[in-house]
Amino acid sequence: MANITCSSIVKSYGDYPVIDGLNLDIPDHEFVVFLGPSGCGKSTMLRMIAGLETVTGGRIEIGGTDVTDLPPGDRGVAMVFQSYALYPHMSVADNITFGLRRQGLPKAEIAPRLTQVADMLGLAPFLDRRPKNLSGGQQQRVAMARAMIKTPKVFLFDEPLSNLDAKLREKLRTEIRKMHLQLKTTTIFVTHDQLEAMTIADRIVLMRDGAIEQMGTPDEIFERPASHFVADFIGTPAMNFIDATIEPGHVARSGSIALSLSRDLFPGLRPGQKVELGLRPASMDLVEPGAPNAIAGRVVLVENMGAEGQVITEVDGREISFVTAQFRRVKPGDAVRFALRPDQIHAFDPVSGRSLLGA
Amino acid sequence: MTRNTFVRLTLVPAIALLATLALVSIGGAIWFALSNRTLRSPDYDFVGAYNFLRLLRDSRFFNALEISALWEVITVSGTLGLAVLLSVLIYETVQKPLWRNLICFAFLVPVLLPRVAAAFIWRFMYSPSLGVINYLCGLLGIGPVEFLADPSLALMSVAVVDIWQWGLFFTVIVLKLMETLPRDPIEAAMLDNARRWEIHAYVTLPMLKGPLISLALVKAVESLRSFDLIFVMTGGGPGKATETLDLYAYQMGINMGGRISYASAMSLLLLLVTTIAFTIIWKAGKKWAA
Repeated sequence: MANITCSSIVKSYGDYPVIDGLNLDIPDHEFVVFLGPSGCGKSTMLRMIAGLETVTGGRIEIGGTDVTDLPPGDRGVAMVFQSYALYPHMSVADNITFGLRRQGLPKAEIAPRLTQVADMLGLAPFLDRRPKNLSGGQQQRVAMARAMIKTPKVFLFDEPLSNLDAKLREKLRTEIRKMHLQLKTTTIFVTHDQLEAMTIADRIVLMRDGAIEQMGTPDEIFERPASHFVADFIGTPAMNFIDATIEPGHVARSGSIALSLSRDLFPGLRPGQKVELGLRPASMDLVEPGAPNAIAGRVVLVENMGAEGQVITEVDGREISFVTAQFRRVKPGDAVRFALRPDQIHAFDPVSGRSLLGA
Repeated sequence: MTRNTFVRLTLVPAIALLATLALVSIGGAIWFALSNRTLRSPDYDFVGAYNFLRLLRDSRFFNALEISALWEVITVSGTLGLAVLLSVLIYETVQKPLWRNLICFAFLVPVLLPRVAAAFIWRFMYSPSLGVINYLCGLLGIGPVEFLADPSLALMSVAVVDIWQWGLFFTVIVLKLMETLPRDPIEAAMLDNARRWEIHAYVTLPMLKGPLISLALVKAVESLRSFDLIFVMTGGGPGKATETLDLYAYQMGINMGGRISYASAMSLLLLLVTTIAFTIIWKAGKKWAA
């Protein structure tokens, strides 16, 4: 079992730093997700922890041991690749046990471990097959079995579900989570899918341009996004952003919209201050006329999502969307009023993009 | 015009030409092999299977058969062994693309050399009195070594030239094949505690099994056509130490005896043996590569 400590990590290609002075602590047993758009450095970070990528500067420790200059095989990590990276010419059984055989373990010890892992992942009927004769989901399970059988100190997953269809992705996501509950091995999981991150993580490390934008539990990240970028990245449908000015009485005004903000959450706001409001579509709903904090708009489009629908409205020439279960009552062209509670409104500095919570 | 007629129409000229060339010469060879023609006299009789029956009692024929088989095994395994070894070495030690390309370019030069030219150059290098190789041997306190005149060394010495020409060329091919392999399984093997040589022995080379078998077959066919190299370097000697079947057939039919019918019978047997051998190897190779 192992915690992971990364201190002042720098990674440059030539003169161009992709990661510049990153610090990160991952406690033992935790399931951490590196989340971010492509090119944010999350995969590079993972590959540096695995030892597949050299570190330009800084230190990586796993379980208190400095592994910065150790070869990948000596770090006690196991990795599942996006492409599965199975050995195409070996049977499933040989694929899974390759690492143990390289360690020189006796056959008598490998056999029961293979049986156990294969049973756990439902691979027992396929042990003699070649990877090309398996479906994508089965191949991914083989890749997971190959990682699990080594009983590593750390599991690394590099976008392992990206090549699977939506239904299978959901199923394997649950399996990976269950596997972690059972084994409790420290795990780092890289993805660009925010929904995947929200559902699977103990903690999310949200990265942008080679730096950590915010680190926290899925709830923290969803409810108290530290910046415009985080707020925009997390949550479906995406948050609405409105430029507004603070008026006396802790009210933010933008054209016809006037929303009173929570004095507890944003004690530092002053009249005349420019802010960027963040309104989650899911926090808002249809209201009757006269309700407080309401926004009046005209329906442009209704998107049916099954149990709920996203209603896109036009307010003062810009689009604001909200989600409601009563979407079947409205149709394009209707005038609607929708509202949200003051404590559900986010406010950001329009210049720096940082959250104004507590400021 | 449908696709099939188009394919047939475009194939017909080439196949017709090939078939004519092959069938006429095979037909001629069979015609000759059944008679007792010599280059010395225009008279001949039909002798049936006499030439073939005599071949089976000809110990020089069996020696040539053995030398041919040995030549195949040595040059094919030597070429592929050298190519695999060198390409792994370059793959592991030379990372800069510029250097790799320069090495590849240098490795392509020997095979561009006409084989007769290579044979003359190496014969000179092997020379006991003037050759650079014996000069180097002398520095080490060995020699002079009679590379081409010593019956136990001659075949090997000629094979070295063939392996030098083709092994370096195949090194370039294998290296380029290795560069096309996906990185992920190699990285997975690194995480699986595999050492450098284990990664190649268990992951990269097995992934290249199909292409390597194809290369072996290409080289096996190519090695059958080594007449020019052996003829220039040793002429089949010393004695019959480097006399392959094609050399023996040439000696019998054209050079010494002029016994054209006997040589034709030998060529037909060579055709039969190689056809059978290659069919078996091809089938086995396909099975193994699957």
